[in-house]
Amino acid sequence: MASATIDYAALVKGLPAGAWVAISERTNEVIAYAAELQTAIDKAREGGENDPLIVRVPDQAVTLFL
Amino acid sequence: MPTVEFPFLPVAIGPTEPFPNGQIAFRPLALATLRAATGKTLRCVVLLDSGADSCVFPTSFASVLGLDILKMKKQLTGGVGTSANQTYYDSLEIDLGSGIQFKSYVGFIPGLDGQGIGLLGQSGFFSYYNVCFYQRQLKFTIETT
Repeated sequence: MASATIDYAALVKGLPAGAWVAISERTNEVIAYAAELQTAIDKAREGGENDPLIVRVPDQAVTLFL
Repeated sequence: MPTVEFPFLPVAIGPTEPFPNGQIAFRPLALATLRAATGKTLRCVVLLDSGADSCVFPTSFASVLGLDILKMKKQLTGGVGTSANQTYYDSLEIDLGSGIQFKSYVGFIPGLDGQGIGLLGQSGFFSYYNVCFYQRQLKFTIETT
């Protein structure tokens, strides 16, 4: 398939519920996580990842009706 | 027409009373780069949601993109189980890769912060692209022209 995707659900397994998570798409690794979105991004940049993929660990994974 | 193919991504949902063995939800998710007029960008996950009237993102994304929701135009919006959600609007460039790049007038809504993903809806996404969902094959395609 043409578009790159990441199984990010697997990557965030075990991280605190509600955390914002910065993931490197180059290495498929979690670079940083924090309670605040900007903090997670800042930590990722300090770690050399300037443009991380951002996801959030749901407080509880639920069936969605959006 | 050239198309780009994306996989549905599995999301595990833990056991609940009606589903004691848990569930796997297969969702039409993609990765996107958002760019605001400030020049700031954010890489995030988006759900193609044909039930959404327009594109919406968590309010947390606005500040990271250098946008001030207090200066945005706003209206009340509703969803399943919710109504009267204050939603703030601005324009973003959205890039899904493979040449799928577009400008959209999007909402920022606090109710999406819990999920941390954006929704690509009718106005500003499906209004630009033909999309086919093949749930049985766990894939979807987007025409690129």
